[in-house]
Amino acid sequence: MLLRGLTWLVLFQLLGTTIQALCLPMLPGPIIGLLLLFVYLVWRGEVSAPVQEAAGSLLRYLPLMLVPPAVGVMAYADLIAANFWSIAGALLLSLLVSLAFAGWLMQRLIERQANGGKGA
Amino acid sequence: MSLDWQGAWQALVQHPLFAFGITLGAYQLAVAAYERTRWVFLQPVLVSMLLVIGVLLFCGVDYAAYREGAQILTVFLGPATVALAVPLFLNLKRIRLLFWPVVTTLLVGGVFTTLLGVGLAWLFGTERLMLMTLAPKSVTSPIAMLVSEQIGGMAGLAAVFVLVTGILGAVFGPALLRRCGVRHPAALGMALGLTSHAVGTSRALQEGEECGAFAALGMSLMGVFTAVLLPLSVAMVV
Repeated sequence: MLLRGLTWLVLFQLLGTTIQALCLPMLPGPIIGLLLLFVYLVWRGEVSAPVQEAAGSLLRYLPLMLVPPAVGVMAYADLIAANFWSIAGALLLSLLVSLAFAGWLMQRLIERQANGGKGA
Repeated sequence: MSLDWQGAWQALVQHPLFAFGITLGAYQLAVAAYERTRWVFLQPVLVSMLLVIGVLLFCGVDYAAYREGAQILTVFLGPATVALAVPLFLNLKRIRLLFWPVVTTLLVGGVFTTLLGVGLAWLFGTERLMLMTLAPKSVTSPIAMLVSEQIGGMAGLAAVFVLVTGILGAVFGPALLRRCGVRHPAALGMALGLTSHAVGTSRALQEGEECGAFAALGMSLMGVFTAVLLPLSVAMVV
């Protein structure tokens, strides 16, 4: 079950990579794969059990897969140290402000839509 | 009989499974520590990263060698990204109900987060190469690496900024959003996915399925949106 689902996911990723190489160089293969799988699921109208199981298992371990790229910090230690405060300040401030802004905006829009629905 | 300690050490450190082994071990420790304390700063990705860096420095292994060994793990990032289509599909009905809030937040919030990051770094006196590396900080790392290279930044360093942003979002995000009065799981998820990509999404999945689905939506839309528009706008402005 798990392997059958995984096969589908890998096939969609490979299909995405092929399409990227052929005609969409600005979009990464996995994102094209995501869009293709999404379109396929909408077309079929349901997720098969093997795909759902494989997707659930992979996504549970997503944080583990992100560790190796994170360790990349050590390769750029000098460059980061030279610009430490400006980078740290820009990353932290922009993240906090835009995170709060995006959440607030979405919440307001949802509330407005809900109220508008009731009023009409 | 004399034991060949040196040889045994080399055999251990150079084994193809060494990088995989220490990553798995560090991750187990980090997850156990997080589950025991539930302390927000002990995000598993952050703690594992520090543990792995410590072990690598101690053993004298450089990043290039580690990255090669850890490919067993990173190669699955692709299928995992594809797998995000599943929670997206399962929550399609809820997403469709909130179509306009999602699109508006994506456009306004996405442009805002990118401009603010680059603008602040420029204000703090960061050089151009760094600015171009910082610009795609809110996008999932495979896209960010491609985009930063396209606009004249450094791909590897972009992945680092992406991760730092993601970890910051996962650490501070949920508490900050609640303090700002953001209660709707869709709004929480959208904000986390839009600004903190995969790390934010895996944090959002802990908050619940609907929150995770909107985070996956925010992350993939922000990724596609940035991949297409950022290189175009840089080409037009500069």
